[in-house]
Amino acid sequence: MFVRASKLAIIASAVAGLAVASAAHAQDIKYPVDTVTLVTHSSPGGGTDVYLREMVKFLAPAMGAEFAVENVRGGSGAKAIAKVANSPADGSVFYGSTPSYINMSLLSKPEFGHDSVEPVVRVFLDPQVIYVRKDSPLKSFTDIVASAKANPGTQKWGTGTPASLERQALEEFKTKAGVDVTIVTHDGGGDMMINVLNGSLDLGIGEIQEFRGQLDAGEIRVIGVFTDERLPDFPDAKTAKEEGIDMVVKKFRGIVGPKGLPPEVIQAWEAGVTKALLDPEFQKWYKNASLIPAFMTHEEFTTFMASVVREQEAFFKEYNITSAD
Amino acid sequence: METLLISLNALISPALLAAAFGGVLWGIVGGALPGISPSITMALLLPFTYGMDPTTGVVLLAATYVGAEYGGSIPAILINTPGTNAAAATVLDGYAMNQRGLAGEALGISLVCGVIGGLFGLALLVGLTQPLAKLALLFTPPAYFALGILGISVIATLNEGALVKALMSAVIGLMIATVGSDPFSGVNRFTFGRPELLDGIPYILIMIGVYALSELYIQAGEPGWEKPKKFVTVKLPGWVMWKRIWPATAIGSVIGGFEGITPGAGGTVASFMAYNETRRWSKHPEEFGKGAPEGVAGPEAANNVVACSALIPTLSFGIPGSNSTAILLGGLLLHGLVPGPLLFTQHPEVIYGLFGGLLTANLAMIPLGILIMTPCLWLVTQPKPLLSAGIYALIFTGIFSIHNDAFDIGLALVAAILGYGLKYFKFPFLPLVLGTILGYMLESSFRRALLMSNNDYSTFVTDPIAAGMLGVACLFVAGSIGRSWWVSRRQRAAA
Repeated sequence: MFVRASKLAIIASAVAGLAVASAAHAQDIKYPVDTVTLVTHSSPGGGTDVYLREMVKFLAPAMGAEFAVENVRGGSGAKAIAKVANSPADGSVFYGSTPSYINMSLLSKPEFGHDSVEPVVRVFLDPQVIYVRKDSPLKSFTDIVASAKANPGTQKWGTGTPASLERQALEEFKTKAGVDVTIVTHDGGGDMMINVLNGSLDLGIGEIQEFRGQLDAGEIRVIGVFTDERLPDFPDAKTAKEEGIDMVVKKFRGIVGPKGLPPEVIQAWEAGVTKALLDPEFQKWYKNASLIPAFMTHEEFTTFMASVVREQEAFFKEYNITSAD
Repeated sequence: METLLISLNALISPALLAAAFGGVLWGIVGGALPGISPSITMALLLPFTYGMDPTTGVVLLAATYVGAEYGGSIPAILINTPGTNAAAATVLDGYAMNQRGLAGEALGISLVCGVIGGLFGLALLVGLTQPLAKLALLFTPPAYFALGILGISVIATLNEGALVKALMSAVIGLMIATVGSDPFSGVNRFTFGRPELLDGIPYILIMIGVYALSELYIQAGEPGWEKPKKFVTVKLPGWVMWKRIWPATAIGSVIGGFEGITPGAGGTVASFMAYNETRRWSKHPEEFGKGAPEGVAGPEAANNVVACSALIPTLSFGIPGSNSTAILLGGLLLHGLVPGPLLFTQHPEVIYGLFGGLLTANLAMIPLGILIMTPCLWLVTQPKPLLSAGIYALIFTGIFSIHNDAFDIGLALVAAILGYGLKYFKFPFLPLVLGTILGYMLESSFRRALLMSNNDYSTFVTDPIAAGMLGVACLFVAGSIGRSWWVSRRQRAAA
C-alpha cells in the first residue's frame, strides 16, 4: 500500500512538473486512498467549481493522491451534502463548500444538512466589497452613510439572494450606520451589476470576480471593503472598520467531509492545503482571482463554522426569513 | 487589421475548421431529432470542451447552435414535427409544401435562408456587440418586467381566435414558474419538502415534456409517422423562387436580429413573429398554411439570425438571449473568459476566432446540409417504435445528464401528461413554455421594481422603455380581440 501510494505521489508530482526534491518530500505522506472526489454544488465553470479544479492541481502532489471534481447540482447544494454525508468517512469524498450550504440547511431543513457533515479545513475568504458606477459621487463608507442620512428612504442598495451572506452584510451595515435605505435583493451578481451601472441602485455588494470585466473597463469603482485589511489590488478602498463601522464579512471557501474522519486524513488535508497555498503558481492564480488565503485547521474551522451557523440563525430570525413549513 | 488576421486565421486553422464542421454536423443531427433542442445538443458537448483550447470549444458550441437551427426544419418539413422549438413555425408551411410534393424545395429554402440569416446575424454580431454593451444598461427592472409581458402578449396573440386559451396556457406556465424558493423572502413555495424542487422546475424539462414527450405519447396512439418520399434531395432555390422569397428572408432577418439582441425568449419568438409578419406583408397571405415558400423562408431566416445575434448580449454583457446561448456562456466561463467590454481587448483571439469560426460554420452549412440529408432521411424512415425508443433514450439521457437525477425524468413525464391534456383540449403550448421561461424574470423584476419605487406602481409607466413595451403589448392584445370580433361579426353577417 505504502509503495503504491508513494509511486502515485511521484507520478503525480512528475505530471505536475515539480522538481524531484518535492517528489522525495511527497514520499513521506501517505494518504489512505488513491482517488479523492471533491463534490461541488456548483455547475461546471461556476466559481466553486473553477477554484476546486485549480486547487487540486496543487493538492495532488502535496497530498499524494489523485483528485476528481464532481458536480452534484440541484437543491441549492442539498444533493451534494446528501452525497457527502452518505459517503464512507475514509478520506475519499469531500464537499468543496461555501457558506451557502449552511443557509440551505437552515432554511430548507433537508434530511442531510450542515450537522450531517464535518468541517475539515478552511482555505480562502472571498472579500466582499462595495462598488458603485464610475460617475457616482460616493467614494467611501463615510460618503455612503452621509448620503443615506441626507436622503432618508430614497437610497437603494443592491445585494444577492435574500438568504445570502451579502444580504446579511448589508442589513448589518444598515443597522450599524443607523440609516433608512432600501435593500434590494437580486438573483445574482450579474443582474445586480447592471442595476448599479444603469443607476437603478446607488451601490452594490459583491465579489470582485463577479464584476471584473466592468471593473477593468473603468465602468465601476470599488469604494469599500468588508475585510480586516485593505486589499492589495484596491489600496484606496478603505475597510469598513477604518471608517467606524465595526464589521468584517467572512465568506469562506473550505473543505467539508463526512462525519467521523480519521485523524490522519484530517492531518493530511491540513498539511496538503498549507503546502498548496504556498505554491507560487497557485498563489499567482488565487491573487488574480482576488481570493484571500485564510487557512484554518480542522479545530479552528469547526469553531468558526459553529459561530457562522449561530450568526446565520439569528439573521434569519431577525429578518423573518424562514422556510414555509 | 490585426483582428481581421485573427479571424482569417480562424478560417484556416485545422482545429477551428474541425470544430466548425463538426459542430454544424452534430447540430444538424441533434436539431433534426424531435425533442432534442439546440440547447440539449450543445449541453451534451459541453463536458467535452473542458479539455479544449478556449477558442475551439466556443466555436464548437456556436457552430452546433447554427447547425441545430437548420436541422430543426428537416423533421418539421418531412414528418410534421419540429425538431427544435424555433422550427415550430416552419411546420405550418414546410409540411404543407411537402404534401404538395415540394419537400426538396422546402429544405433548400430552409437551408439557403438559414445561411443568409446566419450571415446577417454574424454581421450584426461583428458590428453591434461592442456598441450594444451599452444598450443592455437601459434595461431597468420595470423594463425587464415590460419585456416579459410583451413577450407573452405577442405569443398569446399568435393563436388566432384562441386568445383566451393562449392566455390561460401562459398563466399555467407562470404558475409552474412559482415553484421553488421565493426570489425575495427565500420562502419555499410548492416544494413539498423535495430538495430537488428548491431551485424551481427547470424550464428545459417542461419544454421536453410538453413538446417532445407528449408528442411521443400522441404518436404512440397513431398508426405511424408518415414516411418521407424516398430520395428527397435538397433543391436550392432558383432565381424565380428567390425573387419570391427574398422579402420574407429580409423580414425574418430583421426580426431575428431584433429578437436575438433583446435578452429573453430567443429563436422561437423570432420564428413566429417572422411568420406572422411575413404573412402580413405578403401579396398572397391566403397561401400561408397551404405551402407558401415564404412561410418557410421567413422563420428559417429568423431563427438562424438569432443563432448568431443572440451572442451579442451574451458576449457584450453576459446576458444570454436564449437557452442555447446560456450554454455557450457556460462554455466561456468554463475557460475563465468573463463576458464584458474588455473581453474584446483582453481575449481578442477568442472573440475574433469565434467570428471566423461562425463564418466557416455558416458557409459549411450548405454542403453539410446537403450531405447529411441521406443519413437524416435514413433516420426518420426507421420503424417508428425503434425510433421512438431511441428518442426516449436520448431524451432521458439528456435530462439525466443535467442533474444526474432520475427525479427530473419524472418531472418531464408529468409535464408530458400535462402537454398531452393541453393538446387534447387544443390549448397552445408556446404560451405555457414562455410563461415558464419568463415567469421568474417577470415576478422578480416586478417585485424588484416595486421595491425600488417604494410600492409606487407608476414606475412601470414613468420608465420610457417599460411604458413603450407595455403599450405595444396592449396594442397586440387589443388588435387580436378586435380582429376576432370583426371576424365573428362578418361570419354572423354571412350566416
